Amino acid sequence: MPRRLLVPYKSGFPYSRPLGACYGFSKMNVAKSGYRVFSANSSAACTELAKRITERLGVELGKSVVYQESNRGPLALTPVDSETRVEIKESVRGQDIFIIQTIPRDVNTAVMELLVMAYALKTSCARNIIGVIPYFPYSKQCKMRKRGSIVCKLLASMLAKAGLTHIITMDLHQKEIQGFFTFPVDNLRASPFLLQYIQEEIPDYRNAIIVAKSPSAAKRAQSYAERLRLGLAVLHGEAQCAESDMADGRNSPPSAKSTTVHSGLELPLLMAKEKPPITVVGDVGGRIAILVDDIVDDVEDFVAAAEILKERGAYKIYVMATHGLLSAEAPRLIEESAIDEVVVTNTIPHEIQKLQCPKIKTVDVSMILAEAIRRIHNGESMAYLFRNITVDD
Amino acid sequence: MSNIKIFSGSSHQDLSQKVAEHLGLELGKVVTKKFSNKETCVEIGESVRGEDVYIIQSGCGEINDNLMELLIMISACKIASASRVTAVIPCFPYARQDKKDKYTFGFQSRAPISAKLVANMLSVSGADHIITMDLHASQIQGFFDIPVDNLYAEPAVLQWIKEHVPDWKASIIVSPDAGGTERVTSITDCLNVEFALIHKVRKKANEIDRMVLVGDVKDRVAILIDDMADTCGTICHAADKLISAGANKVYAILTHGIFSGPAISRINNACFEAIVVTNSIPQEKNVKQSTKIQVIDISMFLAEAIRRTHNGESVSYLFNHVPL
Repeated sequence: MPRRLLVPYKSGFPYSRPLGACYGFSKMNVAKSGYRVFSANSSAACTELAKRITERLGVELGKSVVYQESNRGPLALTPVDSETRVEIKESVRGQDIFIIQTIPRDVNTAVMELLVMAYALKTSCARNIIGVIPYFPYSKQCKMRKRGSIVCKLLASMLAKAGLTHIITMDLHQKEIQGFFTFPVDNLRASPFLLQYIQEEIPDYRNAIIVAKSPSAAKRAQSYAERLRLGLAVLHGEAQCAESDMADGRNSPPSAKSTTVHSGLELPLLMAKEKPPITVVGDVGGRIAILVDDIVDDVEDFVAAAEILKERGAYKIYVMATHGLLSAEAPRLIEESAIDEVVVTNTIPHEIQKLQCPKIKTVDVSMILAEAIRRIHNGESMAYLFRNITVDD
Repeated sequence: MSNIKIFSGSSHQDLSQKVAEHLGLELGKVVTKKFSNKETCVEIGESVRGEDVYIIQSGCGEINDNLMELLIMISACKIASASRVTAVIPCFPYARQDKKDKYTFGFQSRAPISAKLVANMLSVSGADHIITMDLHASQIQGFFDIPVDNLYAEPAVLQWIKEHVPDWKASIIVSPDAGGTERVTSITDCLNVEFALIHKVRKKANEIDRMVLVGDVKDRVAILIDDMADTCGTICHAADKLISAGANKVYAILTHGIFSGPAISRINNACFEAIVVTNSIPQEKNVKQSTKIQVIDISMFLAEAIRRTHNGESVSYLFNHVPL
């Protein structure tokens, strides 16, 4: 739980009001407002964000039951596999339905739950089905790589077929993913919240420098550096994860050349790319280093980066990320490393990791999601939510 | 090779001719003209029934006209019973409009994703396969439901650097903006040299950007690498910045040399040793106007990709090697 609720837009936020207050309607779901909010997650930890959002909106979460049903074979004595079952317990005919889905460790089950609920709503004659998926799964598989599949594109096609008509998401790994969909995508940003955290919680942030852990994160780091008027540094080298390699690394030996007009010497093979040891481009001596990225998953890269930054003279190291997957050994590695704090938003539930590692802090982003839902339902402009966003963010 | 026909659109006849020569074929006969009301008319001059057709058209010059011509040619071949139609598009049009992120006055404007629209149009007109080079963002491959081969100019660029930059081993590769850092580091890993980057700092909303160099270029040869050169404002500022930071010489290597507007005069006034582009876009006029421009020929990449696709061989050899 964050120590206090962070309210980023302190002045001029048109509908700022304390939680739980209502403005004219009763707290009951009124058919007049014509929208319902459902959560398609089956586990309680994941519905936490949905509950916060519905509190801010002043509505109740829609009644539905999502569970995994064990599918016993006719002669089996033990369950063979678990299939997702969704039951919607109230009428949704003609309404705008928002499905809030957080993606926990078990990605494929969560995706299936979302698809099944969306299709259930479509066949129950909902008017519009809007998916609120703060962390969009499979977003790292958005390029062709070594004869693989572009899973993100496949997922986009499946969501369209299942009946979704709109998606609200947050900090997509690559903005081009918006083009994979045939329906509108609203890509909200968590950066105003994270920037406010930096300005309020890091005492001498003006002596900080924004660091990109790898060249692919340089653009995002630059947008933070620009808004905070700080310097930028980029790390590059061996301990970086291999997926930032050549996007399409398919390799085959050359087949026998069939006769063409030219013949002659074969050009020499280019040498294989050796990864150099980690280098820091930019000066971090005597400063606070703030590593900025969109996803914190496997923290080995961050730990290695923190070591190098410490060696080069950074006296404090923060890691700011939007989506904190923090899988496997992450809490232990963070606890033992040179990182001082890891700040993530609550788009992905991470209570267990927080218990294991007190260095992890949470920023609540339910406000912007609730505001997006309200504006989309009322058909209002969302431009206010993108006020301070730069082109590179 | 049998059952293959190569047609050229009107955007880059020269490149198509070179590609056909590499393959030992003649370009297919096609007549493209405009009616008096400026509508494009395409007539395929030979039979394509059952053939594997390749149409070479680059997104340059009069982009909308060339795009329309490409769509009409694809459709014409498809309804003439071609067995497979592949569009070879060295410079993909509208590739920069690939996300909804143009900000005017600080608001996210209602920008279309034109690259997705172009992808839809190509699929609808009947293309079965796309071959392109150095897409602005590799995610554009995912906009299509048909296979897309995104070739890389990187092997040709590396070969040029090794042959034409005298002390390339002590050079430093520079990215003119933070977004191109990944492209640059992929080259520095091959050459085993260091990299630097330049990032823009906006003082206020409407003030001129200040450019900050991150990294050290003193007494080194600096090589700027980017994928497109349009108005060349960014790379000229970057070159000035590098010279004032102590670089000896500045080269610029860009895959697609669009050179529109004041680009040529800016280049002539700036302090480049050489500006290298590929011939994905016709460069004869530009080379005449500026002595600093040099051209890398990519026709053999396209020819080899076409040959391998037609024979059903693997194309991935081209991702690391320069074909002859």
